[in-house]
Amino acid sequence: MKNACINYVLKTVVFVLLGIFPGSLPAQIERTLNPVSGTYAITHVNIVQAPGRRVDRGTVVIKNGLIVAVGNDLKIPQDAIEVKADSMFLYAGFIDGLSHAGVMKAKDSPSKERIKDPGNPPADRAGIMPQNDVRDFLNIGEKSIESFRALGFTTAHVVPYGGMLPGSSAIISTGGKSADGMVMLPQYALYSELAIADRVYPSTVIGVMAKWRELYKQASLAKSYESIYASNRSGLVRPAEDRILAAFYPVIDKRMPVLFKAEKVLDLHRVLALQSELGFPLILGEVKEGWDVITKIKSSGAKVFLSLDLPEERKLETGSEKQKEENNKTAEDIEKTALQKRRSDFIALYEGQAYSFQSAGIPFGFSTLSAKPADIVSNIRRMIKAGLTDDQALAALTVVPAKILGLSDRLGTVDDGKIANLVISDKAYFNKDAKVRYVFVEGVLYEIEHRQDDGTREVRKSE
Amino acid sequence: MKRIIGGLLLLLLSHLALGQVERGNILIRGGTVLTVTNGTLEGTDILVKDGKITQIGKNLTIQAGIKVIEADGMYVMPGIIDAHSHIGIDALNEATNPVTAEVFTGDALNPFQIGLYRALGGGVTTIHAMHGSANAIGGQCETIKLRYGVKDPEALRMAGAPRTIKFALGENPTRIHGSWNSIVPRTRMGVEFVIREALSKGKEYNEEWGVYNKLKNQKGFRGKAPEYSARLETLGDILNGNIIIHCHSYRADEIYMLLKVCQDFGIKKLVFQHVNEGFKVAPELANFGAMASVFADRWAYKFEVYYSTAYNAAILTKNGVTTSINSDDPELMRHLYHEAAKAEKYGALSDDEALALITLNPAKQLGIESRVGSIEVGKEADIAIFNGHPLSSYAIPMITIVDGIIRFDRDKDPDDVRIYVDPNQELDVSFKESGYDNVDNCMKDALQSFADFFETN
Amino acid sequence: MAKRIQSTIIIITVLLCAFVFALEAQNPKGKYGTFVLKNGTVQTVTRGVIQNGSVVIVNGKITAVGTNLSIPAEAEEIDCTGQWIFPGMIDSGTRLGLTEVRSDSRTTDFNEIGDIIPQMKALTAINPNSVLIPVTRINGVTTVLAAPEGDLIPGTAALINLYGYTPDQMFGGFEGLVLNFPKAGREGLADRRSEEDVKKAYDKAIARLNEVWDMAVQYHLLDSATKSKGVKYYPEMQAMMAVLRGERSVMVEANAAKDIQAALQWISARKVKKVILTGVSEGWRVAAEIKKAGIPVIVGPVLSLPDREYDRYDRAYSNPGLLKKAGVKVALRTKHAENVRNLPYHAAFAAAYGLGKEEALRSVTIVPAEIFGVADRLGSIEVGKNATLFVCDGDPFETRTAINLVFIDGWNVPMVSRQTQLYEEFLNREPGLSKK
Repeated sequence: MKNACINYVLKTVVFVLLGIFPGSLPAQIERTLNPVSGTYAITHVNIVQAPGRRVDRGTVVIKNGLIVAVGNDLKIPQDAIEVKADSMFLYAGFIDGLSHAGVMKAKDSPSKERIKDPGNPPADRAGIMPQNDVRDFLNIGEKSIESFRALGFTTAHVVPYGGMLPGSSAIISTGGKSADGMVMLPQYALYSELAIADRVYPSTVIGVMAKWRELYKQASLAKSYESIYASNRSGLVRPAEDRILAAFYPVIDKRMPVLFKAEKVLDLHRVLALQSELGFPLILGEVKEGWDVITKIKSSGAKVFLSLDLPEERKLETGSEKQKEENNKTAEDIEKTALQKRRSDFIALYEGQAYSFQSAGIPFGFSTLSAKPADIVSNIRRMIKAGLTDDQALAALTVVPAKILGLSDRLGTVDDGKIANLVISDKAYFNKDAKVRYVFVEGVLYEIEHRQDDGTREVRKSE
Repeated sequence: MKRIIGGLLLLLLSHLALGQVERGNILIRGGTVLTVTNGTLEGTDILVKDGKITQIGKNLTIQAGIKVIEADGMYVMPGIIDAHSHIGIDALNEATNPVTAEVFTGDALNPFQIGLYRALGGGVTTIHAMHGSANAIGGQCETIKLRYGVKDPEALRMAGAPRTIKFALGENPTRIHGSWNSIVPRTRMGVEFVIREALSKGKEYNEEWGVYNKLKNQKGFRGKAPEYSARLETLGDILNGNIIIHCHSYRADEIYMLLKVCQDFGIKKLVFQHVNEGFKVAPELANFGAMASVFADRWAYKFEVYYSTAYNAAILTKNGVTTSINSDDPELMRHLYHEAAKAEKYGALSDDEALALITLNPAKQLGIESRVGSIEVGKEADIAIFNGHPLSSYAIPMITIVDGIIRFDRDKDPDDVRIYVDPNQELDVSFKESGYDNVDNCMKDALQSFADFFETN
Repeated sequence: MAKRIQSTIIIITVLLCAFVFALEAQNPKGKYGTFVLKNGTVQTVTRGVIQNGSVVIVNGKITAVGTNLSIPAEAEEIDCTGQWIFPGMIDSGTRLGLTEVRSDSRTTDFNEIGDIIPQMKALTAINPNSVLIPVTRINGVTTVLAAPEGDLIPGTAALINLYGYTPDQMFGGFEGLVLNFPKAGREGLADRRSEEDVKKAYDKAIARLNEVWDMAVQYHLLDSATKSKGVKYYPEMQAMMAVLRGERSVMVEANAAKDIQAALQWISARKVKKVILTGVSEGWRVAAEIKKAGIPVIVGPVLSLPDREYDRYDRAYSNPGLLKKAGVKVALRTKHAENVRNLPYHAAFAAAYGLGKEEALRSVTIVPAEIFGVADRLGSIEVGKNATLFVCDGDPFETRTAINLVFIDGWNVPMVSRQTQLYEEFLNREPGLSKK
């Protein structure tokens, strides 16, 4: 088996533009040819099975979407297509804790027309659609899936778009034959944001908080009446059918967590206040400003996904053209320097957030809801520079989210029996020159081709 | 219901664990102490232990290690209380419905607002962070202490302060709901109806739940609970006497209207806010026992305050109405001591009467007078220290203490006191807002959202 | 304690006066003629304080100031023992007279349509019968600049004295063109324009300003060359010409440091002859540059918030003092209408936070009179000046001080406003609780 084979069996080729056009992705080229085999052997590869557990120059064999063998000196099955990955690095596929990847906005987005009675708007205008299911909005052709997959994300916890209660989430693979085919676990969490409605109730965060509590309490009462009714229907009024309230039932039973987007420090406090009052199981997603809330998060028992978005890096203006003497500085210069320092100190807090959670012993994964794909790897590197180790960063992309989401039996490490979600890069993943070469999603190979800024295709040398 | 109570208990416990309030020990030595309740004490010491005033007297002896503020030549007064403010919160007007009793400004506390520090620089220690005035019955309000520097919003709350709620009469609710949305109320008749209707529903709600709660404990009961409504539950709590009404109002007729409504519903805890024409119905207010929180001299910014007088506070006080002077404005609140002094000019109140307008009286209106509002042993150590008599226009607040902790010290005032810095903000952004045009702070959010509306439609 | 008794006496006096007025007429009238204010402490502002001094007022003018004066026989004597006599206070930037009820646009006349409308004259729209005016003048503020507001050049402001029944009776002898210098930054927190849009709007406004200035220069040259015969009716240019020729001041409003700097550059490049800077809320940041340009400033409102989140909390209070310290000539304004009466308290805060009492007093009396070129008539108690002054029982910047008499252009103004009338009617309302 020569390297040329690989091209022949490629299911999909994805081009990723690097550099100055991070947002624009080229069209996906679909090939109708199916691979000749569902069995692969990735050879001579440095396998990082899990953070701190490594097999150098080993082989990974996968079959029918599962990892069947990992180790040195393995016998390569005869039906295997060999993927030569000499001196490359192989990791378990990454898990994104909160994302809109592959999710379309609702087709009939709520009308923007003026509501006659803004105090009693239709539920969709109010953003209260917890009965929605993200599966109904999944589109396998969404560009976002490709771009996250090209970074190595093979699993994503995806949520619908909407207001304060957009619907239930699902855990999906970032590839598959159909929208439903991508779904690993449907109706995983009830997704919520402290999002206000547009000029209708609830139009403020205080309205959202009040409505949230009210719905929860109404649902609790409705649910307990349903169980009374179920025990003996005779002589009792039929419970009203209410899909909005019913969507809370599994949460009230603690069978389903609430996944709350909580970017800002005050969002965190507000969400934690709701949680401590109502007692639902909680996952905090897209956390950006959590460093001052660590103790509170820890005692709440909430699970955490930290955002992979970071504020733009700012260089301190050193004023090289006017290297003024200390006593020559104007009040304005001194003020400007102080302000710049405060701002960069603050940016450092965002960069150091992951490290501070790590130091506090709070397990966390990452989420990408507001992160630009082109920034994600460099943002992780900024977090590593701020104290996180490579292994800790890898853990936050693999084993920890697998554990948080209850998927450790299937995902998160490179071990036989696990789903064949793999990412293979030409250098160690966090090396700044590293490029992702192959991604396997449930055993399906995606080759990632990189183009230079000028759009020419980078030619890889074959051995 | 049990679950809810359980939840509340949990909430309380978590507050104790996480929103812990820092309390200090301090000796303020040799100042002129304006106690408000017990006259002026020259050259007197105040000893604070664990956030409370434990001793007031001359030449107090203290243990070593207690911080001492030398206040010789300084004036020491109770921390100023602003009974009407909108700072420290991120949202204040759920202006989409004429009745929104269920919303609560305490859900949107923001300890990072620079306004909290600036208010400390004016000797203010406690504020009533109110819902706006867009709705006939607006949201519940939170009483907070200006513990600027804390990062947990829970630590701003004045734990244990009574619940309060905002009502609003006149132009604001009729303009927002009636004129813009064609929803009752468009007139002062409509405002009365909306309030009476809401309270009547709250009464029915109380009754339905009363019946249910009695029945549900009987053996074998299998009935259905009444529909839960956070709005009606709150209205019911007003009727049960658990919430103090703070009503935005201007004209004498509407003030009188609400007095009658409250009388009919047996509501006793009633404070009128702004109440520019309160002086015209001062005997009625006094007779009811309603209180009034007014501006010192604001008027003519809208038609319903055209027939106002700066003598309002004095007329009300002299008619026996417990009166306070408030700010409703992040600038004005920095010189409430000066606003109070105007009541000496307009109506010749005494020094103690003027000081009570911004200390003890607002404390009474918020139901916290047993804890703050005067310098007395046992009260919380919320104290403002001035370099001159606070009723002088030249007086400068020098040190402001909350719970025995120095939260403002003019001599150590740093340049940039922001706690959180927006990493994306440009450095030299000037946010000059004309204080003059933004007087109707009560209408924030409401005006913004409707301005956006008209822009996009 | 003494003060307390004193103010009680004053109150009683005021009440008695009111009682007398009530007997006399429903609406008391001002009195004109010859007065002597005897044995008071005269704060002349320009010539120190005269103890046991007197001021003689004849036909609207101050004819004598000092001790041991010869008193005209017909003079009405007013004993000012224990009282102070101050020149009337001048608020150097207000909307007074141009608005009645702020939220009601039907009562608002300071903002005409158009970005360049220098021909719009505030004096025209002054309502001499505004209820706001008596409220203001009985607090000792006797003279204000009423200024139009709006876009780039919203019109011409006018100095008015707060007594009279026509704008001409009130006119204080100064008019100035208002120029709102374009703002390089955002308008405030509600301004959600993109950085690019802000820059575009700024460049456009600057271009517009330069365009109108160039046109005015052309118009002025053509007018001069043809002795006014070669120019057509062009009210905007005619109004601008007065500024170009140095016959009229231009009042340049600029607040952010950047904008002040840009305005100073523009003023210098355009060789503008008579200039006053107004607003100047960040003047403290660039005080030295303002001083260097030699341009006087009108600062205020003093009682306002700092411009930037990270500014020290008291910047608005300390700004006048910091400017003065740098050598800039400083007058104060409230930029208010219904509460122009608080001018003395704006001055008090400026005084306490660095300006000092003496300079604060000057910033609301002689300095604005000088800036407006009316120091021969207003701003101090001196012989030959207009009898625009007030009598009070103490420091007028203190709230507990009662102002007992006000003279404007020699008129002894009734100490009544609707606010005092409401007080008298409602202090002890009749009927009270019961109608019987």
